[in-house]
Amino acid sequence: MDAAVPAWSEAFASGSAGRLVRDGPLGRLSRDEVFGDADGAGVVVAVIDSGVDADHPAVLGHVARRLRVDVDGDAVRVVDDESAGDLVGHGTACAGIIAGIAPAARLVSIRVLGADNRGKGRAVAAAVDWAIEEGIEVVNLSLSSRSEAMFGVFHDLADRAYFANVLLVCAANNVPGPSYPSLFAAVLSVAAHDIADPDVWFYNPSPPVEFGAFGVDVDVPWRDGGRIRATGNSFAAPHLAGQAARLRSRHPAATPFEVKALLAATANPTP
Amino acid sequence: MTDPQADAAALATLVAVARRLDAAARIVPAADDALLSAVVATATVVLDAQAASIAVHDPIGDRLVFVASAGPSSGDVVGLDIDAAAGIAGYAFTTGQQLAVADVAADPRFDRSVADATGYVPGSILATPLVDAEGTVGVLEILDRRGGTFTLRDLEVAGALAREATIVLRTRRHAGDAAALLRGALVALAAGDRGETGPSGLDEAAIDALVSDATSGLSTDPDDPTWRLADQIARMREVDPDSVGLVADWLDVLLRRRGADSRRPGS
Repeated sequence: MDAAVPAWSEAFASGSAGRLVRDGPLGRLSRDEVFGDADGAGVVVAVIDSGVDADHPAVLGHVARRLRVDVDGDAVRVVDDESAGDLVGHGTACAGIIAGIAPAARLVSIRVLGADNRGKGRAVAAAVDWAIEEGIEVVNLSLSSRSEAMFGVFHDLADRAYFANVLLVCAANNVPGPSYPSLFAAVLSVAAHDIADPDVWFYNPSPPVEFGAFGVDVDVPWRDGGRIRATGNSFAAPHLAGQAARLRSRHPAATPFEVKALLAATANPTP
Repeated sequence: MTDPQADAAALATLVAVARRLDAAARIVPAADDALLSAVVATATVVLDAQAASIAVHDPIGDRLVFVASAGPSSGDVVGLDIDAAAGIAGYAFTTGQQLAVADVAADPRFDRSVADATGYVPGSILATPLVDAEGTVGVLEILDRRGGTFTLRDLEVAGALAREATIVLRTRRHAGDAAALLRGALVALAAGDRGETGPSGLDEAAIDALVSDATSGLSTDPDDPTWRLADQIARMREVDPDSVGLVADWLDVLLRRRGADSRRPGS
């Protein structure tokens, strides 16, 4: 890939958002009409990450199920594990952001990091496959695989998810290079903007990253009941996963492309 | 079946290549270390940060080993290693995702293994994975941005610096792979296809000695005059590159004279 390719967040940085100007076919829709008072009720959101600290005050009562992925040689299994806490703090941060936006959504944590699988592409793929089979409405993926060998696997998974009405919300990488599945068209890709407002999001008509959400210096829950201020596309993605959960709770039949279209039509006008 | 004469010629060529590479490495030492040091120094200046470091993944021990740093206690962190799957650096490494956190000093849950070892406790950390199309090789950490938290632009700049460091590390890894390949070829050729003894009847001990000699220099003795000469040339390149040519001319004269002496009857 061209070394001169800019970081994906640049499109959403203050001062450069003019390039987001666009006259889309739906025009701008009212958020009140599109979202109403939807709070994510009836929707399940999977957080594929470092696990979730379910006792953290920010997510207490929101986590319906916890699983972990075991990698043992060629065998990869997704197993229930209610003790699968957060090894880093990152998964709890993502879950906390989602719970803050869609408080009635039920969260499922699938831990793919750990001493044994180390966030390997196969572990992430197994977690996505599980979410598709379970018909999870929204999946937050604040991590991705850089292995060229996983291109085909994630491409198939992204297409399967799309047609199964499982919306994959993926954080883009801020460095050029392969990043699967976050740069596939079938997913909703998100980079960070620096406007300190969780309700501000932008649509970017210049792919590969389609959406920008709050991701700079975000106050988030962290490991062992703590809080931390964190920056990264990782924290932008769950803002839109939360909004997608609200949309799916108000419009249960909405498909991924309809969710993307509605999020684009309700995006903030460029500053 | 292999041709013993061709094997011997190939062996001699590989030995010559190994010796030349080893001598070159001694005369131009660790250019990659200097580049990595330049990257972390640049990171502290451009991002107005207190410190920066680069940790490289060691796949054998599955640890992140610090190889370069700039800022306070920078000498202490080099050589330290941390769990490749834990903490902010571990997250960036295992997920390939750039991550910045603030207020870590105030958080008692912060992983303090590095802070304890160096006595330097950061307030904020920006961890950027060192990635390219071949995978993730390490992490660039930038600590304590003065005057506030890390911005989107900081993330971009760190990404660009990480890319430079990745190229340096990938080149170093390829050089290491080439050395390993060379060693493997030497062993294979010296051993031939008959197992214990090679085409020239070498036993295992002789093969070991040959490979060791070819890949670790003309002599394992660091005081060997040959290496003294190589080290002197290396020092001379730093203080007066022009003189290297002059020394080469002297050596030419010396060797020609020695050649003439050896042809003289009775010498």
